[in-house]
Amino acid sequence: MAAAPERMETQPRVVGFLCDWAVRSEGLLNPDDTVVGMPHVTVIRVPCSGFVKPGWLELALRSGAAGAFVCGCPMGDCLNREGNWIMEDRIDQLRKRLSRQKVDPERIAFFAYGLHEREQFLQAVADFVDRLRGSGGKQ
Amino acid sequence: MYRRLLLALQSATLRLDTWVNRVLPQDFNPLYYTGGLANLFLTILVVSGILIFLYYEPSLEGAYASVEFLTHHVPYGVVFRGIHRYAADAYLVAILLHLFRNWFTDRYREARDSQWLSGMFLLVVSGFAGFTGYLLVWDERSQLLTSLTTQALRSVPLIGGWLERVFLGGPGVSDTTLPRFLFLHIGPAMTLYVLLWWHYVRLRHPKIWPPAVWVLFSLGLLFILASALPAASGPPAQPGASPEGFQVDWFFLWPYVLARWTAPGWALALVVALVVYGMVIPYTLRETPEQRGLRALGQAVVVEENCTGCELCYYDCPYNAIYMVPSPYPGKSRAAANRKLLAVVVDSRCVECGICIGACPFEALELPRMLDKDVQQRIRRGAGAAAPVAS
Repeated sequence: MAAAPERMETQPRVVGFLCDWAVRSEGLLNPDDTVVGMPHVTVIRVPCSGFVKPGWLELALRSGAAGAFVCGCPMGDCLNREGNWIMEDRIDQLRKRLSRQKVDPERIAFFAYGLHEREQFLQAVADFVDRLRGSGGKQ
Repeated sequence: MYRRLLLALQSATLRLDTWVNRVLPQDFNPLYYTGGLANLFLTILVVSGILIFLYYEPSLEGAYASVEFLTHHVPYGVVFRGIHRYAADAYLVAILLHLFRNWFTDRYREARDSQWLSGMFLLVVSGFAGFTGYLLVWDERSQLLTSLTTQALRSVPLIGGWLERVFLGGPGVSDTTLPRFLFLHIGPAMTLYVLLWWHYVRLRHPKIWPPAVWVLFSLGLLFILASALPAASGPPAQPGASPEGFQVDWFFLWPYVLARWTAPGWALALVVALVVYGMVIPYTLRETPEQRGLRALGQAVVVEENCTGCELCYYDCPYNAIYMVPSPYPGKSRAAANRKLLAVVVDSRCVECGICIGACPFEALELPRMLDKDVQQRIRRGAGAAAPVAS
């Protein structure tokens, strides 16, 4: 990524997936998938957190993102009964796989926030970005 | 209007969740385990019911005395009676919470209607078993409930007299009445398990138990309640007596409170109407996903060339919508060339959640309107493979 300018280091790129049924998403995203007010964070809305392939998170890291996350509904409240449990499980396995490949597993995160928890969700994303920056951001 | 109301109720339900989640960890929020709690209380009811059954004598003369004997002379009899009494309340509260929660959070329509219908049957049968439980004590309250029920049944056109005879086990209250009531209590309780099979059959890994902490807490609470506030009978039933005031659990015996004020027939009609309405609830809102403000992504489709028959989607599908069938022909990709099985999606059960897509490592499943390659493109764009953003 030679094309990345200096200021990219201060705002690491993050790709996230957000369940349609979790945080209320009206006015949350720009048309190009970035979060309003956080142009470095891209959020792709998915029908259920269980829809996300672990390969997509790896792809995000490979394509230059500093981190990737999935946000589902509160644990126990998945509309499809167990999508977020399954996803949490898959993320655990992906983390193990990444650490075997000498990739920092902390670059993958899983959140669980409900309809009314948008502030907490945005705060969690901001904290995640901060953590990524603290750990060197983009490798 | 109705739609807006449902949305407001959904919002309120989830708001309640966030309050509970502030006090308890998410995994222990009892509102996420209303079905499991109901099953727990049902199990407690069955076990305590069997113990009570050992002492119960279903006859006009002996019923009241046998319950009194259980309460006052059998060691811990009063505790078991109390547990049976309070677990029944807790059970009905749990299933009502379960009903409203799943209604308000939109978990009852389309592919999920089988669970809703079986749940309505479970509610009716549970309510009926709870009601006949009151009759078995055969005190004044039982007598009053019996006479109100008899009046209500008699007012049913055409089959009223027959229903009354079936209910009382004879042309009037007689020696065969209490054995009939006992059957009408235990028979429905057994039917519940048949209905529970129907309730679970479309679900993979149904959550049938609450977390262990809640099992212990509920059991402890029942023991404390049963010891502190022992269940007691009213005065024994007298032939020809007409008892007046009576206390019942209004939340499921409210039809009887109503029957005291109006004609019992009307109360019965109202109950029947409510149950029938409950059964058609999943079919009242005929909306396309767009009208519901959802993206219609289409039901999952198997990409037959790539399916290796590995069964991962089959294990993860929460609604048992994926079947593995013997592969009719080999797949095209290298991994799929020697497959033995092929995944098939049952459209009528698919809720378009996409969990199978996340499960599939072979790109053999797709949601038709959110394709893997499009998502990958959006990821690359977001990850900065295209152009950097200024921040």
